[in-house]
Amino acid sequence: MATKKTYFQGLGELVNNPELEKFQKDEFAEQLPTEAFLGDDEKLSESSTSRRDFLKFLGFSTAAASLAACEAPIQKVIPFVVKPEETIAGEANWYASSFYDGNDFASLLIKNREGRPIFLKTNDLCDKGGINARVQASVLNLYDSARLHTPLANGEEASWSTIDASIVKGLNAAKEAGKQVVLLSSTIISPSTKAVIKEFASKYNAKHISYDVLSASAMLDANLESYGTRTLPTYHFDKADVVVSFAADFLGDWLDTGHGKDYATKRNPKAATMSRHFQFESNLSMTGANADYRTPVKASEMGLALVNLYNLIATKAGASTVNVATSDYSTQIQKAANDLWKAKGKSLVVAGGNDKNTHLVVNAINDLLSNNDSTIDFTKRSNLKQGIDADVSTLISDMNAGKVGAVIAYNVNPVYNLAQGSEFASALAKVDLSVSFAEKKDETAAVMSFVCPDHNYLESWGDANPYTGINALVQPTINPLFNTRQAQSSLMTWTGLGADFYSYVKNYWNNNILGSTSWNTALHDGVFMTSDSEKTVSYKGSISSAAAALAKLSGDSIDLVLYSKTGIGSGEFANNPWLQELPDPITKNTWDNYLTISPRYAKELGFENENVSNGALNGDVADLTVNGVTLKVPVLIQPGQAYKTLGLAVGYGRNGAGKAGDGIGVNAFVFANNFNTAHSVATLVKVEDAVHEFASTQLHHTMMGRDRIVKETTLEAFLNDPTSGNEQMMLVTHKGPKAPEKVTLWEEHDRDVHWWNLSIDLNSCTGCGACVIACHSENNVPVVGKQEIRNSRDMHWLRIDRYYSSDMTAESAEEDDVSTIDKFLAMEVASTSETLKVVFQPVMCQHCNHAPCETVCPVAATSHSREGLNHMTYNRCVGTRYCANNCPYKVRRFNWFNYADNEDFDFYLNDDLGKMVLNPDVVVRSRGVMEKCSMCVHMLQKVKLDAKKDGRKLRADEAQTACSIACDTGALTFGDVLNEESKVFTASKDPRAYHLLEELNTQPSVWYQTKVRNVTENNI
Amino acid sequence: MTSKNGKLFSSKVLALFALLFITSINVSTAQNAELGEGLFSSNCASCHYLGDESKKLIGPGLAGHINEKYSTEWLYSWIKNSSELIASGDEQAIEAFEKYNKTQMTAFPQFSNDDIDNILAYIQEGPKEAVPESSVSASDGSNSEAFSTSKGLMGIALALLLLTLLVLVKVKNVLKEAKGEKSVSLLSGAGSWLKANPIFIVFFVIFTMLYGGKVVWDGLLTVGVQQGYQPEQPIAFSHKIHAGENGVDCNYCHSGARHSKSAGVPSANVCMNCHTYISSGTETGTTEIAKIYEAIGFDPETRTYIENYEQKPIEWVRIHNLPDLAYYNHSQHVNVAGIECQTCHGPVEEMDVVEQYAPLTMAWCIDCHKETKVDTDNPYYHDLNENWVKKYHGEDITVDMIGGLECGKCHY
Repeated sequence: MATKKTYFQGLGELVNNPELEKFQKDEFAEQLPTEAFLGDDEKLSESSTSRRDFLKFLGFSTAAASLAACEAPIQKVIPFVVKPEETIAGEANWYASSFYDGNDFASLLIKNREGRPIFLKTNDLCDKGGINARVQASVLNLYDSARLHTPLANGEEASWSTIDASIVKGLNAAKEAGKQVVLLSSTIISPSTKAVIKEFASKYNAKHISYDVLSASAMLDANLESYGTRTLPTYHFDKADVVVSFAADFLGDWLDTGHGKDYATKRNPKAATMSRHFQFESNLSMTGANADYRTPVKASEMGLALVNLYNLIATKAGASTVNVATSDYSTQIQKAANDLWKAKGKSLVVAGGNDKNTHLVVNAINDLLSNNDSTIDFTKRSNLKQGIDADVSTLISDMNAGKVGAVIAYNVNPVYNLAQGSEFASALAKVDLSVSFAEKKDETAAVMSFVCPDHNYLESWGDANPYTGINALVQPTINPLFNTRQAQSSLMTWTGLGADFYSYVKNYWNNNILGSTSWNTALHDGVFMTSDSEKTVSYKGSISSAAAALAKLSGDSIDLVLYSKTGIGSGEFANNPWLQELPDPITKNTWDNYLTISPRYAKELGFENENVSNGALNGDVADLTVNGVTLKVPVLIQPGQAYKTLGLAVGYGRNGAGKAGDGIGVNAFVFANNFNTAHSVATLVKVEDAVHEFASTQLHHTMMGRDRIVKETTLEAFLNDPTSGNEQMMLVTHKGPKAPEKVTLWEEHDRDVHWWNLSIDLNSCTGCGACVIACHSENNVPVVGKQEIRNSRDMHWLRIDRYYSSDMTAESAEEDDVSTIDKFLAMEVASTSETLKVVFQPVMCQHCNHAPCETVCPVAATSHSREGLNHMTYNRCVGTRYCANNCPYKVRRFNWFNYADNEDFDFYLNDDLGKMVLNPDVVVRSRGVMEKCSMCVHMLQKVKLDAKKDGRKLRADEAQTACSIACDTGALTFGDVLNEESKVFTASKDPRAYHLLEELNTQPSVWYQTKVRNVTENNI
Repeated sequence: MTSKNGKLFSSKVLALFALLFITSINVSTAQNAELGEGLFSSNCASCHYLGDESKKLIGPGLAGHINEKYSTEWLYSWIKNSSELIASGDEQAIEAFEKYNKTQMTAFPQFSNDDIDNILAYIQEGPKEAVPESSVSASDGSNSEAFSTSKGLMGIALALLLLTLLVLVKVKNVLKEAKGEKSVSLLSGAGSWLKANPIFIVFFVIFTMLYGGKVVWDGLLTVGVQQGYQPEQPIAFSHKIHAGENGVDCNYCHSGARHSKSAGVPSANVCMNCHTYISSGTETGTTEIAKIYEAIGFDPETRTYIENYEQKPIEWVRIHNLPDLAYYNHSQHVNVAGIECQTCHGPVEEMDVVEQYAPLTMAWCIDCHKETKVDTDNPYYHDLNENWVKKYHGEDITVDMIGGLECGKCHY
């Protein structure tokens, strides 16, 4: 039933750009720059160095180098003086801890080698929250060179005792003067910290104000009105047959990192109850890209669409409707309403944005659909967002009025991430005492009188109560690297409680949480579950005024929708080079934020993007004015973007983040008045003669237009025929049609030990990129920076290809007699329509069993293993790059430079601190060698050795790779395909399983599983 | 490793029993101080010094005086079970017990009177002249004596040949002169011979080039190979004394070898397990052991750890260096394959100063992987082994046959 479609990765591919075609044919975008030093004869003759001199130098340096090489440097080996019993040099220890940065929560297991945390994975004992790309990358933040080494008083280094004395004096002065003492923080979910803050507050009459950068305040307020409680429920995407999302990027940054896992369990086509997902949104989000039906909706018309949905559901439920206009998107809304009503009680409507009216209507719809207590669970609440937006404005006016005597900022950066950031900074001048707990001198800490640097979370004690009934502990996995002090200890010191927060947490847990369970058990497990549950809620409220407000159309406005990227998020991690270099799931751009604009609207306004000679993407720049603020922003043409709506990511434009994050992109928070994400654009003007250079991985590593890369089918077709969309390809031979693997020149390899296979389910992959970061972290993959990405020299061993599809195909063009130019034009138009579909496809080395790279290596540096791996021996490689040239999957990466200890790549491998994150089991590759995914061979060797040491067989699914561990949705399944109990064995026998570019008969060890969309129409 | 240990242990025990057996049948054999030394060092030395009574460890120092002070019969019963003796109300026993802080001496009921006689003989005799410790130097350790002797001999032979040649030429010239012919000097003679035989020059040049090429090639192959590397260590620790003479198991200190990729250099607290009590050695021991105390903060006088001491890690010089590009795991070889430490590290128990025994080159690794049989009894291999037996028809399965030479097994 599958239809044949053309897949493309960028619009440039559709318009016959000759530069681009040339680029796609070449493996390497640029030749060696020999011209620079050999091309200019004049320059050469001008040189004062004669040929004779040159030979002298050459001879001398050769001799000197050979002499120097004969003497091996002396290496020291320094053992512990007193070795901790549980530490064995060369073996990892795993500790349970938790991550919460005010946004994401994850219960973690932390891999510690020789005292250094180097890798994180999800703690399976906790069934909520989970790792995303940011959490995965957070281990690098510990080794951030921008971290403060000592406390600061008025910008100068100072000792803790003097700072403590000044602060206590200041706090007392504020209290005596009757002024407010304010602790401004992000949401705090740590019960012990809350207890400390309570004691601190009662001592100094302090006020605790919290706000969330990615705010859920409107949602909380709406819940207060609808349910009488200002809390968030937990959502069960694993129980929802139909999900309708109005701009909620729930697979990305919407409330919880755990949604992806739940969502994926319901996307299994074999279960027959695969969920159907409708997405109405303005920007093309990661969630929208995964939807079955995605409708681009202009931001200002979103409200009307939502009220229309309410009316349709209300009619079915026999409730009163609201009298509003009919939305332009009524067809799609009607379909969503029908499906929702069919799945009544097992459906879910969610909405993004920070608008109370929207959430009131969503609550009403969910109530009509009886979703409360099934897919929406108020008995197990989420505590992850509790901030109150309005308090921040009140605070600023209080500060300006001189009512505030002291401000203590904890895990917040208001100067950067408030729309009134500069107002906050100037109001701070009227506050006598300002203290920041920031780990580094960020924008806010820079204008505060005292900075009392907090420990990194990997150095801290702590706890968390992220959800009802789930308590988690945070334990340090390394001694504090610098002279820092945990924020809680600082507060305790100033309150006169001592500075021992560890004992405080322990006592708190023993007295309030643990009951009869021992502290050590809880610390070992990292989480402690209780059977606590909150009271169920009942809906009450009316939406008439909310609906009326929502239904107002703003006419012909241009809308701006702010969003957060899955990598950078709210910008706190902007100095993390792994995250900066993580391609955005949709745009595939790195090291940047930009204005996304629909192709149609861009054409109208004359904005263009073009690929220049080396394949890199350049774009126009616009002056964007919103709410009276103007910024120069590059413009990126984005298929799938709603017409006349612009998207812009927050989290960029930092100037207090550190060397990697500063000066990257623009700060979109300046537009975010009242924490709103949707705004009306005053003017959008093209800046003449300005060109912005994007660092996009979008057009790298194309498959040269070959078919059968991504396979898709519909649920209906799949249920009729499980092989649908995955028909066996046949080659024509003189003995009749044969499957490609039957037509071979090669001898088969011995397969009697293990045969490592990886299966990638395109249905479960949400494109989140956690696997990419995990791969970076585990395999010491270097960061190359913006310019090198532009030169197509990214080093990602694992990339996630994002394919757009459109319905115009070569066949249909021929049928309808469409000319080539019109065909491509039609494809372009189609891509802007609702039918734009997106597929994510992670691609790493396919570990071909008939590998094209192996046969062309002149020095046998890449070879095949008995266990089905394609080995790459860096020390044998001489850098001919023949292998990369011959690789049909374009997964080999060449080290153009030494990325460590190189001032041109000043990210994290230039100092001893950053190098502490390196995995000692994997070598740091040198310049001039090829590298690629090894399928984490060091981890495989490790589990095999463990089994041999224990004298037992390898357990099914015991062996894992970094990416398969990081994948919460279960899209990546790794294992030994010779073991019939393993998951990957089952996956390899699945009718959906196929190999990439099967016709080449490379016989990869990586399987893909056909993507199944739950749509009724044939057009998939 | 356990099986290996077990074997080692049992062979020692057997030897001991054999010795005991021999001593017990040869009643007439005189007291054997040599046997006594072994017994003393394994049973008594941890609590007693050999020397003056005031040299206290746990118990008093032991020297000839004890034979004078106590009767042999008394010593038999004291050593076999001192508490019994004390309980019986023996005055001497009670006095000794009181004097040493009522520390009970371990009972040794397994000792025969002969054993005790031997020990007493050893105590009477005192320690033998210690083997002088060889000087610690970083100099090249590969100069074996045999090698230099053969070189010397060759030199002498050459010189003799040269001398003979000169004498013969001289004799010939004398004869020629006697005959009235013109004498030919050695050089001009050689010159005219070469002119007559140009082919020799050709062969000579070819030979020199080939030989020179081989010398250069061999030289290049040794770049980065540090076989025989024997650096000076911060503490003149002798493996010969510890592993050889005292028979301390390698794994006792290098405990990582069984569990981890690195065998590990023991932390100072492992040294202290013994050196809390043993603070002096034979030659330079006292000063060297003091370096451990310096590192960990231990006062040998009071036998207590110094509080709030800033500990100073000992910076050993690493001898066995593999480049980063090669992955090696000790536990794979020691624990799984049961390879003796000495296979790669040489007779460490005979080395005062450890040197790199093996070349640690890839060829050396591969040679071993080609020869070493895989222990297919390990349950990990059970199913696989059946396939292999079919495939290889019951040959010995060596490491290379199951992928032990693949690049990615060691390089990643």
